[in-house]
Amino acid sequence: MKGTNSTILKLSLVVVAMYGFSYALVPIYDTFCEITGLNGKTNSVAYTGNDIKKDNRFVTVKFISNVANSAPVYFEPVVTEMTVQVGKPYNTHYVMKNNSGRQLHTTASPSVTPGKLADHFKKIECFCFEQQTIKPGERVDLGIQFVIDNDLPNNVGDIVLSYTMFDITDKVVNEMSKL
Amino acid sequence: MKSISIFLISILASLNAIADWEVNMPRGVTPTANAAYDLHMLIFYITVVIGIVVFGVMFYSIFHHRKSKGAKPASFHESTTVEIIWTVIPFVILIGMAIPATKTLIMMEDTRNSEITLKVTGYQWMWKYDYVEDNVSFFSKLDNKSNEARQLGSEIDVKKVDNYLLDVDNQVVLPTDTKVRILLTASDVIHAWWVPEITGKKDAIPGYINELWVDIKEPGVYRGQCTELCGKDHGFMPIVVRAVPKQEYTKWVSLNQKNRVAEKSE
Amino acid sequence: MSTNIDHLKEEHHHQPSGLMRWITTTNHKDIGSLYLWFSLLMFFIGGFMALIIRAELFQPGLQFVIPGFFNQMTTMHALIMIFGALMPAFVGLANWQLPMMIGAPDMALPRLNNWSFWILPFAFTMLLSTLFFQSGGPAAGWTLYPPLSLQGGNSMPFVIFSLHLLGASSILGAINVIATILNMRAPGMTLMKMPIFVWTWLITAFLLIASMPVLAGAITMLLTDRFYGTSFFTAAGGGDPVLFQHIFWFFGHPEVYILILPAFGIVSTIIPAFARKKLFGYDSMVYATASIALLSFIVWAHHMFTVGMPLAGEIFFMFTTMLIAVPTGVKVFNWVATMWKGSMTFETPMLFSLAFIILFTIGGFSGLMLAITPADFQYHDTYFVVAHFHYVLVPGAVFAVIAAVYYWLPKWTGKMYNETLGKVHFWMTTVFVNITFFPMHFVGLAGMPRRIPDYAVQFTDFNMIASVGAFGFGLSQLLFVYILLSTLKQPVTAADKSWEGAEGLEWTLPSPAPYHSFDTPPKVD
Repeated sequence: MKGTNSTILKLSLVVVAMYGFSYALVPIYDTFCEITGLNGKTNSVAYTGNDIKKDNRFVTVKFISNVANSAPVYFEPVVTEMTVQVGKPYNTHYVMKNNSGRQLHTTASPSVTPGKLADHFKKIECFCFEQQTIKPGERVDLGIQFVIDNDLPNNVGDIVLSYTMFDITDKVVNEMSKL
Repeated sequence: MKSISIFLISILASLNAIADWEVNMPRGVTPTANAAYDLHMLIFYITVVIGIVVFGVMFYSIFHHRKSKGAKPASFHESTTVEIIWTVIPFVILIGMAIPATKTLIMMEDTRNSEITLKVTGYQWMWKYDYVEDNVSFFSKLDNKSNEARQLGSEIDVKKVDNYLLDVDNQVVLPTDTKVRILLTASDVIHAWWVPEITGKKDAIPGYINELWVDIKEPGVYRGQCTELCGKDHGFMPIVVRAVPKQEYTKWVSLNQKNRVAEKSE
Repeated sequence: MSTNIDHLKEEHHHQPSGLMRWITTTNHKDIGSLYLWFSLLMFFIGGFMALIIRAELFQPGLQFVIPGFFNQMTTMHALIMIFGALMPAFVGLANWQLPMMIGAPDMALPRLNNWSFWILPFAFTMLLSTLFFQSGGPAAGWTLYPPLSLQGGNSMPFVIFSLHLLGASSILGAINVIATILNMRAPGMTLMKMPIFVWTWLITAFLLIASMPVLAGAITMLLTDRFYGTSFFTAAGGGDPVLFQHIFWFFGHPEVYILILPAFGIVSTIIPAFARKKLFGYDSMVYATASIALLSFIVWAHHMFTVGMPLAGEIFFMFTTMLIAVPTGVKVFNWVATMWKGSMTFETPMLFSLAFIILFTIGGFSGLMLAITPADFQYHDTYFVVAHFHYVLVPGAVFAVIAAVYYWLPKWTGKMYNETLGKVHFWMTTVFVNITFFPMHFVGLAGMPRRIPDYAVQFTDFNMIASVGAFGFGLSQLLFVYILLSTLKQPVTAADKSWEGAEGLEWTLPSPAPYHSFDTPPKVD
């Protein structure tokens, strides 16, 4: 029976380890995405370096917006397209307006396509995942500052930056009421 | 290879002129759809040949190596040589398949040098189309006639409804001979946009953006459906693309340009 | 399938009888029977749901159900068939056969074995009860993709709890199987002397241990996303719906090999018996099975080719998926080489096994086509995929289970089934299975998506044919039940070695096998 007990112990450890592995897949996936640009994940930490130099290449960046679950907001970029020089920082912003009659809490998530270029789209400032609180009828400007880094491959097509705005009022109100 | 497929398909096509008995994928009207079709037929023919060989040997054995015919069982039961042969040969065949497949995949994923961009957003249960450069925007949902007929107990004969379940109120108009980049996202749950004759499908994922490209070579009306389960009316949110020559497209754009988002109906 | 319980009662006066016997039994043969009867019941329940689906799809337009309920049927049909019919059937066969095949008196953990079974009726009652909730049962597909599955009604926590229980049952069963095989083989039975069915179950058990806990993680994340404010799968909170798909399919792909490897073991047992010739390439078969199991961990994203993966990912998964065709092909060739120059007879187990080889291979061909990513962009989420997996699961796995039941029935019961009826069951089943699923290749290629209750008119004819086939297939299984029940009424007549070509320790035991067998281990040369 000794052999059996040892087998059972080892197998049980494997089971526990594999359960833990499924949770480990969460950060593994995030890291993998950032390295490979899968699903257009951009840098989650603001880019603060200053080693990017302007070079002679230009690339077109397109800006699009989405509103999730038909939330009652107007959300559009002020500029839909920019031809930018690689290495030079640029500013632009999106406009959000609360079209409902009540205060809303919102947050936006970014996505870049093609995925493999996401890594070269460095955001210096952005409103990604920042929670906004917006009064009924209020209009806000949400700014981004970005730079395309020198490692951008040659002969790429347009880069598309997309933001999706989510209404998280219910979730926020729920959490606040628990405090 | 292409001419053989065309030959065989035209035989099949003449046998079943009615679409009802359609047994194969359409070859389509774009380079990507054509490439998918050609690859599909190649792999299919290879599997047919393998099947004929393997099943042929099996059936021969079933007929000849039976006890009722007096067959006595042989005693061989292993051979390393033979194992190596039938591992290596399939492996080589796979490499033969992988090369064209990889080339085709790289071609399909190259969205550079597109002339216009169409953003497609999946909703429960309709599509929204935004022409990014041309400033046209509208919702597109299942046509009313189909929608009435499909209700449980509607007593409407669906066979009498034109393009039943494949008709919409607002069609997607695209120019022919133009590389169009299609961006995909969704508002609520995962959907997928698919018009078989135009290209393979991609998922439309809320919060994320996907892309594919099409270059429609022939004018016409092409129909497709949502292809990712998205709730109760997943089967009732079709797609209709009308491909027209460039001039007609430009005219259509100018007529629809100021038309901002139409009211979303329930 | 009661064995010599009366003879036994004389020896163990405190052995319970009646209902209590079945609730408290720790005997591998009893538990094997429990699993098999349970699986048969679930097969009919899942089959009934399939018939609701096929009845609705008989014609375009909606005739019987509303779309929301249709989605519940497709979801539940899959969950029941995978977790309630196929997996318990294979575990039942493992329970009955593994100890006898290795010369062991029972499984390593008999009480755990009992619990592993009794979890199932409880879990499935809970799962099925959700169909009667006001908000209905789960309707997001058995794959439960968020965000759709997060929109679900009150059934969601019950479905997740039920899946956790089913997973636990499988994991405990797998631990039991591995502990038994590794520690309780009769002296002289080295690993490479084990019957091939034992090998395939050993490998399957490792797949279960590695993959089921990952499903548990994935569905727990769904639960906390819905009820506890986590954002694993919602973009708003920095999460990603695609992450779920990765975690789910990391489990999901090994899962489908869990559903087929024991079937491979069964066919590898039956073909040699009825060809009266040893399995060709035993060592190769073991290595091929192990290769398939290992490769099954690096192919998962072929279920996700359309999510928008980077090109490198698409190419990688295309290559690994194609690669799996090699060891699978090796197995098919070895079966044919076993038949070759054998001396075959075609009793019912052999018929089902031969049909398995042909029809599973057809399923393999459509699988190879699906592996080609650029082509998959057209096949994905259409009936072409439905055709593929039904071919490998129905005339694949299910045929193997049926073959195994016919094959070992004389050993379990001491009674022979009626061979003529068995053949009728075989032919009806085989004809109808093809009428049902072959047309699905066509409508899928022609453009019909999956998981829709209603379709465009051009898909009508093949759908009608498929529906007719489905009803024929379902009715044919009633014949199977009749054959089983009438066999149990026969007198005990089966020989120890019920089939001329059968090999293995179980055939050295009397038929029916004694309630306790191999209390002393046999000698193995």
